[in-house]
Amino acid sequence: MSQVVTQYTSLYESLRSRRLRPELPKGLDMVASRARTFLGHRAHALPRLLDQAKDTDLLAAEFRGMSEAALDDTVTRVREDFLRGREQRDTVCRALAATREVARRITGEEAYLVQLAGALGLYHGRVVEMLTGEGKTLTGSIAAPLIAWRRRHLHVLTVNDYLASRDALGRREIFNRCRCSVGAVVQETEQAERFELYSRHIVYCTPKQIVADYLRDQIRMGRHTTPWTARGLFAATGADGERGPMVPGLQAAMVDEADAVLIDEGVVPLIIARSRREDDMAGVYREAAQLAAQLDEGPDYVIDLVLRRCDLRRRGVDRLRHAFALLLGRGGSAIWRAQRRGEELVRQALVARHCYINQQHYQIVEGKVVIVDEYTGRFLPDRSWEHGLHQAVEAKEGLDVTADRETLARLSFQRYFRTYPFLCGMTGTAADATGEIEAVYGRPVTVIPPNRPVVRDTMPMRIFRTQRDKWAAIVDSIESIHRDGRPILAGTRSIAASELLSRLLEARGLPHQVLNANFDKDEADLIARAGQGASESVSAAITVATNMAGRGTDIKLDPAARRAGGLHVLLTEMHGAKRIDRQFIGRAGRQGDPGSSQVFVSLEDELVTKHAKVLARILKERPGPGEFVATGLLARLFRLAQRRSEARDHSNRAGVLRQDDWIDKYLPGTG
Amino acid sequence: MSERSTFSPFWHRVRAMKPRLRPHVQITRQFHRGRRWHVVHDPSSNSYFRLSPVGHEFVGLFDGKRTIEEIWQAGLARHGDDALTQNEVIQLLSQLHSGNLMAGDSTPETEQLLGRGRERLRRKAVQQAIGLMYFKVRLFNPDHILAWIEPVMRPLLGRVGFVLWCLWVVAGLVAVLPHMEELKGGFDAAVAPSNWPLIMVVFVVLKLWHELGHGVICKRFGGQVPEFGAMMLVLVPAPFVDASAAWTFESKWRRMAVGAGGMIFELAAASLAAFVWLNTGPGDLLHQVSYNAMLTASVSTVLFNANPLMRFDGYYILSDLLEIPNLQQRSFGMLKFLMQRHVYRVREATPPTSDPGEALHLLWYGIGSGIYRIVLFVSITLYLVGELFAIGVFLAAWTAAMWFILPIGQFVHWLATDAKLANIRGRAILTSLVLVAAAALLVGAVPMPDHRRAVGVIESEGQAGVYFRVNAFVQSVHVEPGQRVKAGEPILTCESDQLEAQIGTLSAQISEAAAREREARLSSEAAAQVAAKFVQTMQEQLDHLLEKRERLVVVAPRDGVVVGPDLKSFIGRFVREGEPACAVVEPERLRAVATLTQQEAWIYDLDPAGYSVEIRRAADPATVIPARFERTSGAGDRELPHPALGFAGGGSFETSPGDQSGVMAKNPVLKAYFQAIDQSRGPAFASASGAGAMPGERVYLRFTLPDRPWLVQWLDALRKTLQGRARL
Repeated sequence: MSQVVTQYTSLYESLRSRRLRPELPKGLDMVASRARTFLGHRAHALPRLLDQAKDTDLLAAEFRGMSEAALDDTVTRVREDFLRGREQRDTVCRALAATREVARRITGEEAYLVQLAGALGLYHGRVVEMLTGEGKTLTGSIAAPLIAWRRRHLHVLTVNDYLASRDALGRREIFNRCRCSVGAVVQETEQAERFELYSRHIVYCTPKQIVADYLRDQIRMGRHTTPWTARGLFAATGADGERGPMVPGLQAAMVDEADAVLIDEGVVPLIIARSRREDDMAGVYREAAQLAAQLDEGPDYVIDLVLRRCDLRRRGVDRLRHAFALLLGRGGSAIWRAQRRGEELVRQALVARHCYINQQHYQIVEGKVVIVDEYTGRFLPDRSWEHGLHQAVEAKEGLDVTADRETLARLSFQRYFRTYPFLCGMTGTAADATGEIEAVYGRPVTVIPPNRPVVRDTMPMRIFRTQRDKWAAIVDSIESIHRDGRPILAGTRSIAASELLSRLLEARGLPHQVLNANFDKDEADLIARAGQGASESVSAAITVATNMAGRGTDIKLDPAARRAGGLHVLLTEMHGAKRIDRQFIGRAGRQGDPGSSQVFVSLEDELVTKHAKVLARILKERPGPGEFVATGLLARLFRLAQRRSEARDHSNRAGVLRQDDWIDKYLPGTG
Repeated sequence: MSERSTFSPFWHRVRAMKPRLRPHVQITRQFHRGRRWHVVHDPSSNSYFRLSPVGHEFVGLFDGKRTIEEIWQAGLARHGDDALTQNEVIQLLSQLHSGNLMAGDSTPETEQLLGRGRERLRRKAVQQAIGLMYFKVRLFNPDHILAWIEPVMRPLLGRVGFVLWCLWVVAGLVAVLPHMEELKGGFDAAVAPSNWPLIMVVFVVLKLWHELGHGVICKRFGGQVPEFGAMMLVLVPAPFVDASAAWTFESKWRRMAVGAGGMIFELAAASLAAFVWLNTGPGDLLHQVSYNAMLTASVSTVLFNANPLMRFDGYYILSDLLEIPNLQQRSFGMLKFLMQRHVYRVREATPPTSDPGEALHLLWYGIGSGIYRIVLFVSITLYLVGELFAIGVFLAAWTAAMWFILPIGQFVHWLATDAKLANIRGRAILTSLVLVAAAALLVGAVPMPDHRRAVGVIESEGQAGVYFRVNAFVQSVHVEPGQRVKAGEPILTCESDQLEAQIGTLSAQISEAAAREREARLSSEAAAQVAAKFVQTMQEQLDHLLEKRERLVVVAPRDGVVVGPDLKSFIGRFVREGEPACAVVEPERLRAVATLTQQEAWIYDLDPAGYSVEIRRAADPATVIPARFERTSGAGDRELPHPALGFAGGGSFETSPGDQSGVMAKNPVLKAYFQAIDQSRGPAFASASGAGAMPGERVYLRFTLPDRPWLVQWLDALRKTLQGRARL
């Protein structure tokens, strides 16, 4: 009986969470909510958190002196208060002191004051920014029990499966002692197991896993909106597929690398799709690609690289009309009979041609187009672009055109995470996305000061007229720093660029290693070697890497490297968002290590040619030497372009969210 | 180039739906401008939705078994490019859903249903708030009343009825036309404040009758009339009925008949009132009532209801006549489109119609109603501010916010966020700034002609009244008005038999008394003295009478021109001493007196050298007489220069209620005196033909002020209004 009740409850919670998705505030509401987050949460947040952390710290002596039994007893008692929702400020302090003590006794690490402040920030539903290497794992694990007690279920979202299972295992003892069950759901976890795992108090998983499971629940529940109407689907027979929703109601989530998950990947929808059955479209995509190749840019069509769209001009339309007629005459597909649909296909082929670049946006792996994630530089093997774009790219590359896929369910992380009544997160770089996190998720951002000051030398930006000048300078710079015996990490924006740099270094005879999506198998080895300084046997490491080395990568320095001055990070291009640059630069100078960083840019970089077109062209054509003196003004041009790119992405994300909200409002109950 | 993208990223959310239309939903077919449309109507919520044939076919396949995906694929196969795109399908579904016209395959949640109801109420409330000037109160469902009345009237609601109605209205018109003068004369009395309660009652009764017209005709053609209520039309209550059921009628003539129903009934009533009015005499209450009814039923009907630029009956009739539903909304859409396309150069802008004829109609209607809206707003505001200051200002501010500030806000929002502007936003903002700057420059910096107007009368400085000096009958007239006379020249001659008789009697008595005196002198000195005294008294009396006889001839008191009524009308009339006959004025010393209310006291601030005045006489409006400023009278005076300027004399100044003379204004007035500049061509204020002006003649003054920017002019006017307001 109680099992039925539990099932019903979880079914209800699951359905309810679908309904209660908050709307994005609009108009004056938006202004008010922004003002609220700005005034209420930000202004005095840090001092208050530090205050409370100090109060917690005062309890340390008392807790340290407790016997094991007394500690367990204290845990049980404070937990009761949390379960009943009766926690007060001092209960929270005691609870945190208790989990801190538990963690200390089990792992031997005692959380610093700033970590306590961070944990409190998490507990209060904030997104906290803690510098990399400041012990985010510990912070999270002392805050998690408090949240799990209060909210019943806590989902801890990690960047990858490896971290999920590692943390779940590594922290199990702490959590169990805090009377929380813990589990990890990873790619390999069997469906049957998942039901049980998701019912635990603290669940570690990747966003992708949980969103996919949540979507599968949605598909199974169909269009049912009340437990009553859905009851037939989940009769308590015990068969796996009929056990109610897999993911019970969404209660609380703690997101690691919050800016990456919530912002960068926020609108990347997770899609459950199936191949369309009827499909003789392969030929059509190929023909569209051929037609696209025949058209001339300018007289026939205009391409907008920023918006990734294409407009046909009158001449192009006329030419296409003839071409369609010709194709039809040769017995082409009936689709060419419909002028508009035909044009749409050709426009798409043109977009595929101009806006999607091999080795930057995708790579051909074993005769297939594999998408490269812009933010992490990794392959996304099971993702494909929607509505025929993927097919258009395949046709352009002359590959086998795969079947068009049909979306069954689709959910963006953005929408999913907005469903949680309680959300907190940690990241190294949230401050740059404060506005968006606050606007979209209503979560305030708090920057926790570092425990140890950062000793990283930020060298002035170098600005070149052309790419050629830039690359030459980069190689020179690498060579000279290499001679000092320091390890170097050179970041590139695309796979193609990383390979270009690799060739240039080879020509100079500089030994180096390349880390990009093609070498992801060797990632761990490459990273392990990347912190090597010069010794008698080997020279210092030179690592050329895409964004893959950006987030979550911990490059350990050997003593020789530390003596030589630590890791030097060299960015060969600025990214579309400052956060990504900061993440990458954050590889140097971790945990008090020495380090340095420098950014190289040119007026031919994609960032400025896309987002500050006119200014960049004017500056480029001004006579002068190949390298500019990096005045504030010039550096500001690049920052401006970056800001415009950020704003563009932001408005895209907001647009997707608004459309989602619109459908929720006008067609409720459609998933 | 309008792009209709076939796919929508949100398709998966609707693709598996198996919708059906709600069972009570009715679909009717209509033709608009030669195209077929289908109107979906839900009688329970009284919501409507218009579908294109392709959309109709799409909706027609809703059966609760087919999925949206299947229906969409079928449409694609059939219609190719014309088929609905995924985005259009989602749009359509959401509209059907929010109109409660569609049922999904899942049982909707109570919460959702309630939420939808709440949303509808909220939208209604918002509409109410926006149209505060047309506040609506819903009262009851009149359907059962109409169900009872309609069969009674049915024999008249048809072709025969229409012909009879035409005859009836024409008959009324024909009967009343010969009495046009009387009709005009009654107007002042009808709009006098004392008549207001009566006119109010008549108004409400007639409007009820008007609404009955809509209701009955709608009912006659099978429509339901679910709502009756009262609308506060600029604070005046007017009843209304909801005859929107007519929107589903297939025949546009029937739709128009419902729209015109109110006016048809009202004009019939006006005709009836005309006959009543003709057959009753002045003083009869029924006479006044029927006059009011005639006025209300014809004038208000023509001015308000038939005017298509407001959303009253005329609008709906026009919209049906042109076969353009949602005329106003779409014509604003057309203007918006034209602006986007040609000013902002938005390539993706889609016109609301592809039919050039329709586009033209939308264009003229959009411009016309836009201008009308502004004019109406300004005039209603001015009227209300004048009548009920606080409420007027509040209503004006509110309406300004809803009609102007809200759209401006929407415009800014569009400029800042619209996706179509994404890649030309910089230019679009620049364009807007240039437009705003140009408008600001035009209003705030470019000097514009500034004209003011005032009404006045002609007056003379050198003026002498000519009065009758004895009670007598007028015998003859020696001059005519306009004739130049010298001082002492006779103007009229009177005769008085009584006076002659008195003189005769007295002369006789004197000679008798003189004889008696002579006798007495013989007898006694004392008696003689007494007699002499008597004679002397008599003589004095005679002298007096003789002098009076002399005064029978009325002479000019001074040199000048005779002005006044036609003197010949005096002949044979008995006149009393002291009665005015005419006046003699010096035409060279005529002047015009302009009268202004305190609120119009702008004339105080003007530098007399800085503006010019032109005067036109009412009798001769073609001639423009340049004039110059002389002086103003002190403030606070309430006496009008001439009765012609007061209410009673046909002027625009409200006279004080207790005043018999017709020259005491209710509120203080200002008087400003002007002299004609050009004295060379004879009498001042003479027309081209040389005919001189007469004192008391009405004149229109036009002041040409120095050119100033509009903004300065407006602010000045506003300040004056407020000052005038404060002074009261």
